[in-house]
Amino acid sequence: MALVEIHALTKEYHKGDQKIVPLKDVTLAIDKGDFVSLMGASGSGKSTLLNLIAGIDKPSAGTIHVAGVDITNLSRTQLAHWRASHVGYIFQLYNLIPVLTAYENIEMPLLLLPLARAERQKRVEIAMEAVGLTDRADHYPRQLSGGQEQRVGIARAIVADPVIVVADEPTGDLDAETSEQILQLLQRLNTELGTTLLMVTHDPKSASIARRQLRLEKGVLLEPEPPKVALAAV
Amino acid sequence: MWKFMPYIAKGLWRNRTRAALTVSGAAVAMFVFTFVGSVQEGMANLNRGSQTERSLIVFQANRFCPSTSRLPEDYARALAKIPGVEEAVPIKVYMNNCRASLDLVVFHGLPPEKLRKIRDLKLAAGDWSTFEKQRDAAVVGNALAKRRNLSVGQRFSIGEVTITVAGIFTAANAADESFIYTHLEFLQRTRGLNSVGRVTQIEILLAEGTDAAALCRSIDEKFRSKEIQTDTRPKGVFQARAVGDLVELIGFARYLGFACVALVLTLVGTTTLMAVQDRVREHAVLQTLGFSWQRIFGLVMIESLIVSLTGGALGTGLAMAALSWKGLAVGSEGVTIAFSTSPMLAVIGLLATALVGLVAGLLPAWTAARAEIVESLRSI
Ligand SMILES: Nc1ncnc2c1ncn2[C@@H]1O[C@H](COP(=O)(O)OP(=O)(O)OP(=O)(O)O)[C@@H](O)[C@H]1O
Ligand SMILES: [Mg+2]
Repeated sequence: MALVEIHALTKEYHKGDQKIVPLKDVTLAIDKGDFVSLMGASGSGKSTLLNLIAGIDKPSAGTIHVAGVDITNLSRTQLAHWRASHVGYIFQLYNLIPVLTAYENIEMPLLLLPLARAERQKRVEIAMEAVGLTDRADHYPRQLSGGQEQRVGIARAIVADPVIVVADEPTGDLDAETSEQILQLLQRLNTELGTTLLMVTHDPKSASIARRQLRLEKGVLLEPEPPKVALAAV
Repeated sequence: MWKFMPYIAKGLWRNRTRAALTVSGAAVAMFVFTFVGSVQEGMANLNRGSQTERSLIVFQANRFCPSTSRLPEDYARALAKIPGVEEAVPIKVYMNNCRASLDLVVFHGLPPEKLRKIRDLKLAAGDWSTFEKQRDAAVVGNALAKRRNLSVGQRFSIGEVTITVAGIFTAANAADESFIYTHLEFLQRTRGLNSVGRVTQIEILLAEGTDAAALCRSIDEKFRSKEIQTDTRPKGVFQARAVGDLVELIGFARYLGFACVALVLTLVGTTTLMAVQDRVREHAVLQTLGFSWQRIFGLVMIESLIVSLTGGALGTGLAMAALSWKGLAVGSEGVTIAFSTSPMLAVIGLLATALVGLVAGLLPAWTAARAEIVESLRSI
C-alpha cells in the first residue's frame, strides 16, 4: 500500500450559479520515500491538490488516505493534530514568524508535540544542521537572505519528522543560483533522510530533479513519460 | 500554554507602541475606577462599626451646619440621668469649612477623659497622658496627619484654633481618621469661638438593649419646653443626612466607574482585534503547522488578558498608592467620608480588568480561530 492514496478527488467552488472545478476526479498514489514534482499552468489546480494532501483544505468529493488514515473524515481539530505530526509544509514566501528567531521558528511545530525541552533542542539542532544554518540560530527572518529564510522554512517543515513534506513553489521567489542550492537540499533530504516529498513547481528544470513528475491540466492529472527536459530546454 | 509565552510576549513587543498606549489608557481608566470605588466604599463604611449603631447625636433643632448648633452644655448632665443612656458626651465641633470639601479639617472638642469611652482609637504615635494633661493638646487622625504632614509635638493652626499634636491615631472606622480631638474647654475658650457653656452636639452611648428610636423621641420631648429644643437621631441617620448631597453625587459617580470599565473593554478589544487582523496570515501559518483553532483562540485570549491586566494593575496600583499616601476624605457639614484603600478594592479592580480582558478577547480570538486556512494564506 502506498503512503498517500488519493481516490476520485474533486474540488469545486460555487460562485453564484458559476461553478469552478480546480480538481476533477484525481486519483494518485505516492510511495514512501518518493520525490514527486507537480507542474502545470497557472490556475491548473496544483496548490489546491497540495493543500488537500496537507490537510489544510477540504475536498468536495473523494478520499485521501495518508499512512492508512482517511484524512477527509477528520474533524477540524483532529486534522490540526494530524498535521502537527504528519505534514511539513514549505511555502513559496517562507512564511516565517517575523518576531521569532530562526531557532524559535524551527522549534514552533515541536511545541505541539509532547517533547521535553532538551529533546526539542536536539531535534532543532539536527534540522538546522541538515539545512546548513547552525550559525544563524539567533537571527531574525529580516536578518536573513531569501535563500536562508527558505532553509529555515525547510528545517521547520522537517523538524517534527513528518510522514510527508509538501512544498508549493519553494524556489519561486529565489534567483537561479539560490534555487539550485535549495533544490539540491531537497534532493539530499529525500535521498539521505528518506523524506517523502511533493513539490509544486513552474520550472521544468526544477521538476526534473524529482524521481517522478506529474502534470495537472485544468484540474486533470497526467503522468507524462519520464524526462525529455533536456530536449525541451534546447 | 507556557511554552508559547515567548511567542505571545514577542508579539506584544512587536507592536509595543500600540500596546503601551492601550495599557496606559486602561491604566488611566482603572485609576479613575479605583478612585470612584474608593469613595463608594468609604460611604458604605461611614455607618459601619458598633459605635455608630449604639450612638445617638443630640443636635439643636432646625440647625444643620455644626457652627450654628449651640446647645447648653448642662444638657449632657440631664441626659446622662435618662435610663438607657450609658454616656452623654458634650462635643464642640469646629471646622474650616461647613460646605462639601476635599480638605475638611474637623475639630471635636470633648472632655478628654471621655474620648476613649466613645471612640475606638489606637495611638500610632504620641501618648494619651500628654493629651489628657496639656490644655491645648490634641490627637490627630492618621489620614489628616498624612494630608497635612503633621507629627507629634508640632503646633498646628486652622483659623483661630492652634493645637499641639500630642498623638496620631488610627481608628476602626476610617472616617474617624480625618478628625482632630481636643479638650472641650480649650475649644470653647478659644478667642473668637468663645462659647463657654455651649456645645454643638451631645453624643449619647446607648446601654445594651435600648430602643434607639424611642429614646430619641423621649429626649426631644424632654427639652421641648426649654429655651433651646433638640433634634436627636441615631448617629448613622445623622451622618447620612449631613452628607446627603454628597451621597447623591457619589452615587452618580458609580456610573463613571462603569464607564471606565467599558472604556477599558473597547480599548483592549480594539487593540486585540487590530493585532489579530495584522496577523491573519501568521495565524494561518500556525494552523498549517498544526495549531488547532482552540490553541489559536487561547493565544489571542491570553494576549488580551495580558494587555488588560497590565493596564489594570498599573492603574489600580497607582490609585491605591495615591489614596493611601494622601489619606483623602470628602466631607460636608462636619461629617467626613474617607476614601477607602481596602485590599478588597484592589482585588475588585484586578478582577474587573481580568474579566474585561477575557470579554474583549472573545471576538478577536473567535475571528482568528475560525479563519479559513487556505483563504488566509492568500491574504497579504
Ligand atoms: N476560494 C476560491 N474560490 C473560487 N475559486 C478558487 C478559489 N481558490 C482557488 N480557486 C480557483 O481554483 C483554480 C486553481 O487554483 P490553484 O491555486 O490551485 O492554482 P495553481 O495551479 O496553484 O496556480 P498557480 O501556479 O498560479 O499558483 C484557479 O482557477 C483558482 O481561481
Ligand atoms: Mg499555486
